[in-house]
Amino acid sequence: MAQIEIRDLGIDYRKPKSNEVFSAVDNVELSIEKGEFVTIVGSSGCGKSTLLMAVAGLVNLSRGSIKIDGKQVTGPGPDRAVVFQEASLLPWRSVRGNVKFGLEMQRWNGGDLNERAMQMIRLVGLSRFSDYHPHQLSGGMRQRVNIARALAVDPDVLLMDEPFGALDAQTREIMGTELLRIWERHKKTALFVTHDIDEAIFLADKIVVMGRNPGHIKEVIKVDLPRPRDEAILDSDDFHSLRKRLRAHLAEDMSSMQLVKEVA
Amino acid sequence: MIVELFYRRQALILGTLSMIGLLVFWQIAVDAGLINPFFISTPSQVWTEFLVQFEDGQVAANVGATLYCFVWSMGLATVVGIVLGMLAGWFRDVESALEPFIWFKYSAPTVAFYPLFIAWLGYGTPTIIAIAFLFALTPIYANTLSGIKNIDRDLAKAARSFGAKPLDIFLQVALPGSVPVMMAGLRLGVGRALTGVVVAELFGANAGLGYAITYYGQLMQTTKMMVSIVIVILLGVILTQILSFLESKTDSWRVDSGR
Amino acid sequence: MADMTAETTATRQVSFSALRPSREAVVGTLAVLAFLVLWQIAPSMGWVNGRFTSRPTEVFFAAIDVFRKDDFLFHARISLTEFVAGFALAIIVSIPLGVLLGTSKIARYLIDPPLMALYIAPTLVLLPIMVIWLGIDMAPKIAVVFLGAVFPIVLNTMAGMSEADPRFLRMARSFGATKLDIFMRVLVPGSLPALLTGIRLAVGRAVLGVIVGELFVSQAGIGYQINLYGSAMRIDRLLVYVLIVSAFGYTLTILVRSVENRIRDWRSK
Repeated sequence: MAQIEIRDLGIDYRKPKSNEVFSAVDNVELSIEKGEFVTIVGSSGCGKSTLLMAVAGLVNLSRGSIKIDGKQVTGPGPDRAVVFQEASLLPWRSVRGNVKFGLEMQRWNGGDLNERAMQMIRLVGLSRFSDYHPHQLSGGMRQRVNIARALAVDPDVLLMDEPFGALDAQTREIMGTELLRIWERHKKTALFVTHDIDEAIFLADKIVVMGRNPGHIKEVIKVDLPRPRDEAILDSDDFHSLRKRLRAHLAEDMSSMQLVKEVA
Repeated sequence: MIVELFYRRQALILGTLSMIGLLVFWQIAVDAGLINPFFISTPSQVWTEFLVQFEDGQVAANVGATLYCFVWSMGLATVVGIVLGMLAGWFRDVESALEPFIWFKYSAPTVAFYPLFIAWLGYGTPTIIAIAFLFALTPIYANTLSGIKNIDRDLAKAARSFGAKPLDIFLQVALPGSVPVMMAGLRLGVGRALTGVVVAELFGANAGLGYAITYYGQLMQTTKMMVSIVIVILLGVILTQILSFLESKTDSWRVDSGR
Repeated sequence: MADMTAETTATRQVSFSALRPSREAVVGTLAVLAFLVLWQIAPSMGWVNGRFTSRPTEVFFAAIDVFRKDDFLFHARISLTEFVAGFALAIIVSIPLGVLLGTSKIARYLIDPPLMALYIAPTLVLLPIMVIWLGIDMAPKIAVVFLGAVFPIVLNTMAGMSEADPRFLRMARSFGATKLDIFMRVLVPGSLPALLTGIRLAVGRAVLGVIVGELFVSQAGIGYQINLYGSAMRIDRLLVYVLIVSAFGYTLTILVRSVENRIRDWRSK
């Protein structure tokens, strides 16, 4: 059995004003093996973040089930940790304080908190900045802290919600390579949401392509590019053909959206 | 359906309930002898007394006198505050020159100048207007200043690239862009102008709500005094609500309204 | 916001290292000097009646007199006691109330309307009724200081708590934080700057409360002295006392603001 089993998942929202119910995600079936790096890609509004938050246990399910190692997900748990988009670092805590936050919340008893935090900070290459506060760091550095905070609690599954979405293209590429380097060490199961096609291919063992109205899975694509990977892979033929395939998917989504606009 | 309605109007319903509850509690506490009515009167007595004062024209006279001073002081503070604020926001040296005086005005207890104003302007209305004017001036000036000063640089750059002159930028970018902040200043100013008028009236006037409060206070006639206190509180709420409404109308002018 | 702070620190450093005052400081000082000179010569030129305006030099000598002979310390101690007692009381009451209102929606809906009404309304109008309740000694002034200070602190604490960044809350929940964890480690530190803003706004209202309370009716205190010299038309001494009160309010405001700014620096993006 796969590590993460998502069956017939549906998530509905009620619009606060009109009380209208709409479906953010519907009919989602997905299996993720232990140690797999899965990216979820799709245009905005396709429910990819909602799906991730559901796996994190931060969103209530309307239908279906999510199981991790055979256990039903009913809320957040120590087996999972989330790397958020920017601005989730507590501004009044130092880098070390932020990395310790998750450990404190989970009542970590695997030794000295400071030591554990410093170990993670070293892992993401920020030893010199452990006493800095978030506003003194660049966007890329902040996301390293975000990753360190999630890794510190030693989760089985790492959930990432467009963690590099706010970074510029160059930093984004560097962070991708850096993330793979860190991931290669422990090979934790990873679920990574993005709207960037190159990023989705570069990181993944498996790409989940999502479409909208309601959010659903259009296709699951296996990526057989060799590991460890570096930037050189971006120019390979396999990469190009994958990119072409994904682009076609997203373009289809865009044109259907325009149609809706014209009708409205 | 009723439950749903309750949730949607929760704030309004609970707020009204708590206000009514407060009044009922006040009435019952006094009726049951828990509080001496001499200290606080009761809602029913205040209402009866309000009707009496309304009949004999006292309410109209006091509210009229207070509003007269309020309108004058608020009007003066608006004109002076906005003009000074625009000058200081646009010319840095004007801001630097005014800064020490504004700071003094901000931290000095304006009412302490009361004897001075009486010497300069005479007893009553002119002194009341002057004090309330000083009360209201600070927020209006400060908000206008920051509105003009924190003009959207990208918009200004864009305007300049189309060949706009400084005056154009001031009139087309800085001024409209700072209207919402100015409105917030006016809203704060309204509350402070009313405070200024009423406080000045406490100290020396021949008419007005503050005068009535002191007058009946000295006679220890709590009920008569409470009528004017309640009217002042209501006036403050109503005037501020009007300004909040106007402020919300200009909110879409905010450059960052898309956030 | 962040740019502005950076800019001011930068200019401050530059002006320190070059030991040359900034243009703002020069213009500000010149403006004050011009005002003082004008004030000094205006009575002698016959533009104004000196009896009503006094002169800077007279105020200066009056200040020496006040500090040397007037019972300055006696009156200052009384006013200060009223201020501290009322302010301390306001802090003790307002912080728990603000926390309650900031964390419970029901409590907020229930208490918000009367609270807003009292925050907007001039609380100083309650002064005469405070005198009826509490007499003419320190108690009514303490009450007025309390009433002036309590609402800004309550409302700002409430706003700081209820407007906590939802992204922080979600992040904390993802790590399995309990309600108490979220309160202690996210809401409390997150609302500290707002609380300080409330305290800073409260300082001005509290100082005004002491002085107005004493002007209204009192037997001692700075406000009493101001009233005394006002009715005796001793403008020079009146101004000395007004300047003392200003300096007190100014210093306290600047102090709170500097703590506030230091804390706010954490959150600048």
